[in-house]
Amino acid sequence: MLNFVQGHLISIAFIVFILGLVYQGIQFFKLTKKKEWCVPPSSIEIKREKMTTQQRILEGLRSLNGNLWKTDPALTFITVVFHICLIATPLFLLGHNILLDQSWGVRLFSFPESLSDLLTLIVLICGVYFLGRRLFLARVRAISSVYDYIVLLIALAPFLTGFLAYHQWFDYEIVILLHILSGQLMLITIPFTKLGHMLFFFLYRFLIGSEYSFVRGSRTW
Amino acid sequence: MAHQETKSVDTEKIKEMLNQRKGTMKRFLSHCAHCSICAESCFLYMAHNKDPQYMPSYKVIHSLGKLYRKRGKVDRKFLMKIKGMVWRNCVLCGRCYCPIGVPIPSMITFTRNICRSQEVYPQLDETSSESWL
Repeated sequence: MLNFVQGHLISIAFIVFILGLVYQGIQFFKLTKKKEWCVPPSSIEIKREKMTTQQRILEGLRSLNGNLWKTDPALTFITVVFHICLIATPLFLLGHNILLDQSWGVRLFSFPESLSDLLTLIVLICGVYFLGRRLFLARVRAISSVYDYIVLLIALAPFLTGFLAYHQWFDYEIVILLHILSGQLMLITIPFTKLGHMLFFFLYRFLIGSEYSFVRGSRTW
Repeated sequence: MAHQETKSVDTEKIKEMLNQRKGTMKRFLSHCAHCSICAESCFLYMAHNKDPQYMPSYKVIHSLGKLYRKRGKVDRKFLMKIKGMVWRNCVLCGRCYCPIGVPIPSMITFTRNICRSQEVYPQLDETSSESWL
């Protein structure tokens, strides 16, 4: 059982994850073949005055005024920290990199174990904040269903089990098995659930004709 | 008004319309993280004492989302319910902001099209009673 989970199932999870994302990406570009220009072509665009670095920073900070940073600074901060830790922790975890080295002979830079432990704890705390929001904020509760709680659990389970496994709390064999399984479940569900915003957050920039767009947000459905 | 409430619903037509744009609309719906960040970008939400039913995501999830979940098999009562959501609670100003980039106005427009196909839309004489609101 453990051999299958550690061997073939990991390969299957990664294949589903990568092919799923590729499929979604291809589908996105197929569905958005139509193009319309949301902003004028560069030839008739009014050129902006050259700004110094300091002016650029100040303008960037000023632009924060009208967005989420102004309306909900706690959420802005927590969501940014959560997503950075969510991606960075598993990628730069020493244990994962040793396994990677043993299998393929390649490894990424690794964080010290204590730092990884702290980052995992931060992910879990942020997760509890999101859970609290969903449970107690009327506006989030109004659009929440069981599915939302399941997806949050899918996202947090690898971190919770990883944390328990690192500290060797409970039966290590079972906890590490659950850790591997929950990680695989997360990878498999990313392309097909709302966790797909990992990819679509970037792809949707092709559709939005604003300052955060790619290729002037010219693609349209 | 009475005609709108009593006429039978052509569920096949609704299903056909839903299937036509299934690829895009279902993706939009599934990528909504249900985070409620779009709330403050809606002036109607702010003007109605932050009532959740005016949130852009609420309007879409409870109208188009339900239409897809029910695969178009809806009754007139349901259509009359979402009529208020997509015609009155949204003015299609296009100012709603989604951090992921889900185009909410296009989804509301699509839901309006479905409602219109079943002759569910606000009429000029619906002023004083506002029974559908």
